[in-house]
Amino acid sequence: MSDSTIQHNEDSRDVTFRVHRFNPQVDSKPYFDDYTIRLEKGITVLRALNYIKEHVDASLTFRAFCQAGICGSCAMRVNNMSKLACTTQVWDELDKCREPGIIKVEPLRNLPLIKDLVVEMDPLVEKMKGYSNWVDSKMPEENWGRKEFPVSEAEFLKYDKATDCILCASCVSECTILRANKQYVSPAVLLKSYRMNVDSRDSMHEQRLAGLVKDHGVWDCTHCYRCQESCVKHIPIMDAIHGIREEAIAERGVKDTSGARHAEAFMEDIGKKGKLVEATLPIRTNGVVWTMKNLLPMAFKMVLKRRTPPPPPLVKSTKDIEKFRAEFREMSGHVAKDHAKKSGE
Amino acid sequence: MKPFDIVIVGGGGAGLYAAMEAMKTNPGLNIAVLSKIYPNRSHTSAAQGGANAALANKAKDDTVEMHIFDTIKGSDYLADQDAVEVLCSEAPKIIRELENMGTPWSRLEDNTIAQRPFGGAGRPRCCYCADKTGHTILQTLYEQCLRKGVFFFNEYFALDLCVDGSRSRGLIAMNIKTGRIEAFPAKTVIFATGGYAKMYWNRSSNAAGNTGDGQAIAYRAGISLKDMEFVQFHPTGLRKSGLLVTEGARGEGGYLVNALGERFMSRYAPEKMELGPRDLVSRSLETEILEGRGFDSPAGKYLHLDLRHLGPELIKSRLPQIREMCMYFEGVDPIDEPIPVRPTAHYSMGGIDTDNFGRTGMEGVYAAGECGCVSVHGANRLGGNSLLDILVFGRIAGRAAAEEAGKFNPSPISETEVTAKELELRSFMQPSGHYERYGSLREDLGHTLGMNVGIYREATKIRQGIEEIATLKERFSHVRVFDSGDVYNTNLLQVLELRNMLDLAETVAAGALVREESRGSHTRTDFPTRDDINWHRHTTYTLEGTGPRLGFKPVVMGRYELQERTY
Repeated sequence: MSDSTIQHNEDSRDVTFRVHRFNPQVDSKPYFDDYTIRLEKGITVLRALNYIKEHVDASLTFRAFCQAGICGSCAMRVNNMSKLACTTQVWDELDKCREPGIIKVEPLRNLPLIKDLVVEMDPLVEKMKGYSNWVDSKMPEENWGRKEFPVSEAEFLKYDKATDCILCASCVSECTILRANKQYVSPAVLLKSYRMNVDSRDSMHEQRLAGLVKDHGVWDCTHCYRCQESCVKHIPIMDAIHGIREEAIAERGVKDTSGARHAEAFMEDIGKKGKLVEATLPIRTNGVVWTMKNLLPMAFKMVLKRRTPPPPPLVKSTKDIEKFRAEFREMSGHVAKDHAKKSGE
Repeated sequence: MKPFDIVIVGGGGAGLYAAMEAMKTNPGLNIAVLSKIYPNRSHTSAAQGGANAALANKAKDDTVEMHIFDTIKGSDYLADQDAVEVLCSEAPKIIRELENMGTPWSRLEDNTIAQRPFGGAGRPRCCYCADKTGHTILQTLYEQCLRKGVFFFNEYFALDLCVDGSRSRGLIAMNIKTGRIEAFPAKTVIFATGGYAKMYWNRSSNAAGNTGDGQAIAYRAGISLKDMEFVQFHPTGLRKSGLLVTEGARGEGGYLVNALGERFMSRYAPEKMELGPRDLVSRSLETEILEGRGFDSPAGKYLHLDLRHLGPELIKSRLPQIREMCMYFEGVDPIDEPIPVRPTAHYSMGGIDTDNFGRTGMEGVYAAGECGCVSVHGANRLGGNSLLDILVFGRIAGRAAAEEAGKFNPSPISETEVTAKELELRSFMQPSGHYERYGSLREDLGHTLGMNVGIYREATKIRQGIEEIATLKERFSHVRVFDSGDVYNTNLLQVLELRNMLDLAETVAAGALVREESRGSHTRTDFPTRDDINWHRHTTYTLEGTGPRLGFKPVVMGRYELQERTY
């Protein structure tokens, strides 16, 4: 036999899949089942699950459709990270196991559980509707089909990456804000919103933006970058989120929302003092009354527990700091100019 | 329960376009889209290459007329010429319409929609968005349906039509999330459930769910199917998984190379080379492998698709998904290494027999897209014409159903009918002495079809295939569903899908046996030439007793006379 066949046989081993199980008709709470099967190198997690379903336990339930990484059905958590089972190699996962040889498989987080590895996707669809995740064409519908909008390659490139999104919801599952607040807009919906907002054929930028800056919107993101890390299509989701924020500040001004004021206060501190003055940040973001009402009790507790940050020391201006401030001013200037140019287009 | 005006089964390109157009035609209608998956997961998303339309953005001398001719010639003259005329003349309008509603097409330097060459086409007329065209079209249509407030029943599996004499009253479906069997009384039903090429299972590029559900439901209800023997094999499936490498890879200039290092297409299509039509290129690959000029590996024999000379820049910008797929599923980066490929079952030209308005043999029932057979693809579909088909005929069916919906008031679907369905499904879960597992049946079906009713066909082999399918059907009667729960029972679902595939497999094999000629994707080694005198006609299949009764239908001709098909 050829060398490759021998190689092939050596590259097989027993692998255990520790799979999240829950049948709402029978179980009061989820549990894990271990399935140990012999696998050959080169097999994907989805193929392994299919094998378990066909040969070991027919009741094991998960979604799968295209098996080629384009439909987004089989997103699940493998070894504590949301990803597509169909594009994930078992052998790669073996390196990431917390317990050697045991691959943990769980459903996506932040969406209601239906059964085993299947979660309810409707909340995501509802959010897409809520934030108008569609192009509302500048062309009246009765004129459709007659002529193209001219679109430059440069404009196409603005939304090209964002249109890679297959709505697999891996980012939704990994989002740390959603863990705390299920009403939060979600990274996928922000990405889609951004994609619509940079499309010159769309007629409702303003309206969509107005929705995005409200509560549970774009300002709630804390830049943890988990969405971007987990994106199965490697889309720079955070660029989209920053893009929406920049647009919001440029077009709606900073007085408009607490999120924008928060960003402005940050800028001001860094620009003038080179450090963040955390004590007064809430006041500048949400005003005195809101801060007294919402944060003062916590501030007292923090003082009692000695958790308050000390007042920032005065920073003596050195050559380097001056240089940094100049660069910062120049950068801010560029951003402002970009926005002026964008809104002028 | 008040009947729906239109129930659309399937949420891919054809179903969504039908829904949108129906709402546009009459915004007051009560329309429901049933889909066994979330519509944005549909297999439309897997179409990478693009959609043909004679926009003449790239080649200024391209015309609708040339598109018509290429399509008819590509079909090996089995397409109905009036239907092809509809397809191609509607093409520029529908591509612009998609553009107007937000589809992110790639662009040319003059800011118009980009076009590229595709197999069997005389001009570069395939409109694309990188190599994610189907995905972006599907997203756009889904977004627009959400905008318009189309009513979706997501994760509902259609079971059977309810028929009143010659007319449908709607259908019965299972809510997958609850397991409940529900009635959908409807004035009109549109089937848009996609193709049936997954019956070739491991030898197919299709999604797991492309099991011909709509065709099987229609067939069981007495509606005729057409041209089922024509299954297109795509030349470049990945060696291990059968997953597809788009024709766009050859459109961009990729070479097909055998183990001797030859660009072997020079033997089969000296002029068009790698951009010959799919049936011809698939046969060429198969011949190279059969004659021993393929590469060998534990995962089977294969050939090379070489993109290296295109350079990293082009591969990264125009074929990024393909590159990713090759790396995930084959461990090969096409920038550095050739891609191992072999032909894979890819598209079903056959389907529910419809006229140019999507109307089937049963009043009130329509079909569109790969699920239907108008026929615009005849014996062989051209690359870039399937997305076009679902858009054009999805829209037409939506409009036709909307216009008809007001004219009929069906009698309701009774509780008894629903209960009968429940009992039928329950029976799969009853323990019996000897039982079969659906998984192995499914694999056996794919194997027997691939071996006996694949690219090269021959009477004795097809007969063997027919026997084996009969045995599989017998074995299916012992299949047991082990998951007896109601909630999200994918075990039951996959068994029902297998039943649909088995019903349709019989028609594919029966058609392959009866058609004693070679035409398009159907190649009989015992009848190696096209026989226009006896076989320039469509085959039809109607369920009689437990098997298909075959019939024939003339091909609608037009200004193009029969010619020998060379490239």
